[in-house]
Amino acid sequence: MNKLEFLTKLRNCLEKGGMNSDDINDALTYYEEVFLDAGFGKEEETAASMGSPEDVAVNILRESGIQISGPEAFDPQPAPAFAAGPMLGPMPQYQYQGAPVQKKSANWGLRIFFAVITFPIWLPILIVIVTVLFALIVTVLSLVFAFIASGIGLIAGGVSALFVVPSVGLMLLGAGLIITGFVLLLCKPVMNKAIPALGRGIKGVCNWIGGLFKKGGKVNE
Amino acid sequence: MGFTINAGLLDAMVLSIVQRNDTYGYEITQYLRKAVDISESTLYPVLRRLQKGEMLETYDKEYMGRNRRYYRLTSQGETSLEEYREEWRNHKKKIDSILMDEGAEENEQA
Repeated sequence: MNKLEFLTKLRNCLEKGGMNSDDINDALTYYEEVFLDAGFGKEEETAASMGSPEDVAVNILRESGIQISGPEAFDPQPAPAFAAGPMLGPMPQYQYQGAPVQKKSANWGLRIFFAVITFPIWLPILIVIVTVLFALIVTVLSLVFAFIASGIGLIAGGVSALFVVPSVGLMLLGAGLIITGFVLLLCKPVMNKAIPALGRGIKGVCNWIGGLFKKGGKVNE
Repeated sequence: MGFTINAGLLDAMVLSIVQRNDTYGYEITQYLRKAVDISESTLYPVLRRLQKGEMLETYDKEYMGRNRRYYRLTSQGETSLEEYREEWRNHKKKIDSILMDEGAEENEQA
């Protein structure tokens, strides 16, 4: 059971127990905090350590003076929200109201702040990545260009030498044709795959930078 | 743990932890775990009880872009913590006199 499931079930049970909404929100704030303090990767573990939400609800209700027979009291509609699963019904609404909008903006501000603070670290890294990708593209293109040029040069040289020294001319012509053949063979996969791949790489980096400013940045997490 | 901790003792321990410095739910549980097998869900009713009894009060403090609820001891909390401590000293002495065979002379006199 993850945090969301736990908190939703807990809220349902407390509502069924007839607790007032202030007390319910207080309890949920506490339990949400426990999940956050335990760490993001430990939701399942944390939920398991606290026992079933039904039992937790019974304890809270008893403490606030509401007598309830036991966890079975919540059974008539056992956890309707999640039993159906996301595919079979409309997604259950997460009813927890503990996270006001203002909290979100604080988060935002902090993230932007961190993005700006760590700017001297990530900017050079980004520049290096973009530069290396760009250099790779240029290298590949210049290699291709060099092969094409030498192929054409050898063929042209071979044709002109053919009339002066036929043997040398034929050799040059052959070499030129071989290189041109190689270029044509290699060009197809290189042009079809490698260059778009590099392009995608650069685009990816650009999107990622864009994402930093949209979401406030993963870089600082 | 072979011995059960009752509600009063748990209240007293929580008050004592908060007295040391203001702290939040998760940390209190971690602290208590050094001595007692307790989960976060056991602690919540205790904190509620102490709040309602005006021995603890809460305030929110920002932590990593969210609010964290901190607990602070009230003057009433201080007073009852001292009472709890006194009570515990007496209780401990009485138990020890039997269990650890301490103060046997007193028992013989009685």
